[in-house]
Amino acid sequence: MTSTSATPTPAAPAPGAALSAQIDFEFSLLTLGRASRAARTDLLAWIDEGVLTPVAPSTGDAATWRFGADSLARAQAARRLADDLAINAAGVALVLDLLDHIAELQARLRHASGG
Amino acid sequence: MDFKDYYKTLGVASTASADEIKRAYRKLARKYHPDVSKEPDAEARFKDVAEANEALCDVERRAAYDTIADDHRSGRSSGPGSHQNGSRRGGQPFSPPPGWDSGFEFSGSGSDGESDHSDFFESLFGRRAAGGDGAQPRAARARPGGDHHAKIRIDLVEAWRGGTRSVSLRAPVADAQGHVLMQERQLEVNIPKGVRNGQHLRLAGQGSAGTGDAPAGDLFLEIEIAPHARFRLDGRDLFVDLLLAPWEAALGATVQLALPDGSVELTVPPNAKPGRQLRLKGKGLPGTPPGDAYAVLVLALPATDSPEAQQAWRTLAEGYPDFNPRAATAG
Repeated sequence: MTSTSATPTPAAPAPGAALSAQIDFEFSLLTLGRASRAARTDLLAWIDEGVLTPVAPSTGDAATWRFGADSLARAQAARRLADDLAINAAGVALVLDLLDHIAELQARLRHASGG
Repeated sequence: MDFKDYYKTLGVASTASADEIKRAYRKLARKYHPDVSKEPDAEARFKDVAEANEALCDVERRAAYDTIADDHRSGRSSGPGSHQNGSRRGGQPFSPPPGWDSGFEFSGSGSDGESDHSDFFESLFGRRAAGGDGAQPRAARARPGGDHHAKIRIDLVEAWRGGTRSVSLRAPVADAQGHVLMQERQLEVNIPKGVRNGQHLRLAGQGSAGTGDAPAGDLFLEIEIAPHARFRLDGRDLFVDLLLAPWEAALGATVQLALPDGSVELTVPPNAKPGRQLRLKGKGLPGTPPGDAYAVLVLALPATDSPEAQQAWRTLAEGYPDFNPRAATAG
């Protein structure tokens, strides 16, 4: 089948073969942008604010940066906040920090009252 | 299909200015945004609010909508079951009257086309063009395939042990003419042991195929762990109630506690207080390092439904003449 503008379906795996799901994968800036549907400029702004941190290296040529699997959820949350609520990069960083803090407080509350 | 009152959704009058609409939308968007909201039906309400804003923030669309809304309010809408008494709500079926949109031009400043609108919105403003990212072919240019995303719900025991899971995915696919169809495919996936709630799994190459020599995109599965009746998972840590008889808490006891992957024996020290948590190191979600499990002590009182049982308690009370649990709170 020649590819045209249609979205071709991926090849089906052999019957009976289960696909192995990876959990320790990494992203480049490019693939993180693709997976999270965030623009490169947004990603760079969020990285500057500390929303996302490359695992290594963290300076130099951005093309060499690598991000852990957990970055996807964080980049997606950042994009939702930026798109849906029109929040700038500094605001997104603050909101995510506060949400982390709230989650931590709620966990402590649950522990204190006996799980 | 029901009529949707977008002004009511935003809590503004139908005569509201554009600024008032924008302000109302922004406030409600913050309130119901699923990432920050604790309201029970946040996601549905956020969608309603966003759709109302989309309809009313654009001058053309608002004008078109107002025509419909006026007709609806005065009971002039066509369609089966429409009443003439001008009643506005109550499941009154709605369909736009023929020719209502003649003279209105929608400039269609779209977002990225992945919005899912209600049937009502689409009946008024049409469906966005399918194939949001590059519907027009760029001849012979190799483009990597797009990534697909899906959420799968597993139960807690599956998260513990891992295992093979059949996943059904439905995705909209555009055919060569640009018609959008829902295509279903079935995948067998190995879920690794010890996945956390919210974690992403990657199935490389299972996204859309690329064009030319470019690689296929990936499929990302977001894990959602269903709530469990007895166990509560907090990150990698597990919390489970350990029910004790009063004498077990007072005198100490060795008890069996069921965990997701088998039971453990643990020793409750004497004089144990309800609410105390006994930490079972490494018995949480498997991983490197594994999480911990916490047995939360809960007192279970037997039913006191016989004279002998009541006497047993009275004897116990006599053994503690000075015990007053309310001493600290006495006026």
